[in-house]
Amino acid sequence: MSETNGHQEKKRLTNPPKTIEFRVSRREKLGAAQYTETFEIPYRKSLNVISALIEIRKNPVTKEGKQTTPPVWSMSCLEQVCGTCTMVINGRVRQSCSALIDDLLLASGGNKITLEPMSKFPNVRDLQVDRTKMFDHLKQVHAWVELDGTHSLGPGPTMTQEVQQERYAYSRCMTCGCCLEACPQYHDDNYIGPQAIAQAKLFNMHPTGKADIDARLEGLVGDDGITNCGNAQNCVQVCPMSIPLTRAIYETNRDVTINALFGWLRK
Amino acid sequence: MAIKISKTFLMRKLHQITGIVPLGTFYFVHLFTNSKSMSGDQVFNDSVADIHHIPYLLFVEIGGIFLPLLFHSIYGIFISAEARNNVSNYGYGRNWFYVFQRVTGIFLFFFLIFHLANLRFGLIPGLESYGNPVAGNADRAFAIVAAEFKNIWILIFYILGVTATAWHLAYGFFLFAVDWGIVIGEKAQRYALYGSVGLSILLSIVGINAAVAFIEPCGLLPRAFCEQVEKNEIVKPQKF
Ligand code: SF4
Repeated sequence: MSETNGHQEKKRLTNPPKTIEFRVSRREKLGAAQYTETFEIPYRKSLNVISALIEIRKNPVTKEGKQTTPPVWSMSCLEQVCGTCTMVINGRVRQSCSALIDDLLLASGGNKITLEPMSKFPNVRDLQVDRTKMFDHLKQVHAWVELDGTHSLGPGPTMTQEVQQERYAYSRCMTCGCCLEACPQYHDDNYIGPQAIAQAKLFNMHPTGKADIDARLEGLVGDDGITNCGNAQNCVQVCPMSIPLTRAIYETNRDVTINALFGWLRK
Repeated sequence: MAIKISKTFLMRKLHQITGIVPLGTFYFVHLFTNSKSMSGDQVFNDSVADIHHIPYLLFVEIGGIFLPLLFHSIYGIFISAEARNNVSNYGYGRNWFYVFQRVTGIFLFFFLIFHLANLRFGLIPGLESYGNPVAGNADRAFAIVAAEFKNIWILIFYILGVTATAWHLAYGFFLFAVDWGIVIGEKAQRYALYGSVGLSILLSIVGINAAVAFIEPCGLLPRAFCEQVEKNEIVKPQKF
């Protein structure tokens, strides 16, 4: 990629295929059998996965000509900040709103695109999953700042620019689930995962949030806490918000280790 | 406030500690002894005899090697069983290393069973060590191993074992450093990783050379590098 004046010329799809084939994972409801259906739509410029799914939904007929139900998925912001539309596209987890069809075709060199739901969450229907687990994890690590009173206590302590910047990086998490989906250690809720660890870090760095450091650590050292991290470091590679997840994990590792080694000496 | 430590936390940390401290130490001692094969059978046999003279040998062997090894390998298999490997979709370097650590671990589990049964206990029929293992037969130690390594498959198996151990230990140092929160930053981790890879290559070469030295004096190095000691000659330190 050549870089000139900050402008990056992107590789573009020059000779697009006539049609695009979508292999979509289907499931009628939670616990029902999963199967795949293939749909074909004509190529159009500037499609993304969501607009292609909307196209399919207009006329839910499979490639073989079978009338079927329209595929179901979740979406909301359509600009990669809500995390709702996350799914596994061509084997890789990402947001479907920002997955441009041209880029996908360019990368795969063919005209086929597979869409699957994330595999680490309960699959509610078709491409829709239930990410409640991630919010439970936030509760487990006390990922908030306690209200400090019912009356005004004046301005809180100031944060240095440095801390602000680091916290800003962590604060961008949209609870999308990419990091958990790509993690080879995360399954069956045996490990809390990078997202909650990073959020614990975010609130540990807050001047008022510091008061609850121990409560957060408590949520992290349990059997299903931070310990099961296997250092594959996929999380930091797939995080769409470029959150320094491994830094959060290893800094927390240090806190936990120091606590385990020396904590009892304070008894 | 002291935080309550969970069972998983304790087991994981114990797994890492056993890998680094007793097993890592033993590995270096073992590699040192093996490398004496470069100077021929007298030197090697003498050092096997030295090992036999370690005080409290039985306790050292059981407490310092067998128990940590048993724990490390069995818990390691549990850890490997937990993995949902996904390198085909997420083929990042560290993800591959994550898989290698588990693959080498499982390979070493079988390799070490064979190695112990073979040279430590002499239980593998058809091999030179059958009924008379290296342990307890210091005067024949070199000859037993040399006879076994004449079989190219045995030699290859041992070379694979040596290489896998070198990688597993060297990357184990990296994992230990990140898991205990010693090496945190991205750059620091990159350097630590280079160090680990370098160490694994070095240890592999030393290990392979020691193995080859059983069938080829001085191993892969020219003979001038090694002091070849004739049988029954008394080894005197050279004066400088
Ligand atoms: S840390 Fe990144 S990948 Fe994980 S949930 Fe948050 S935004 Fe998504």
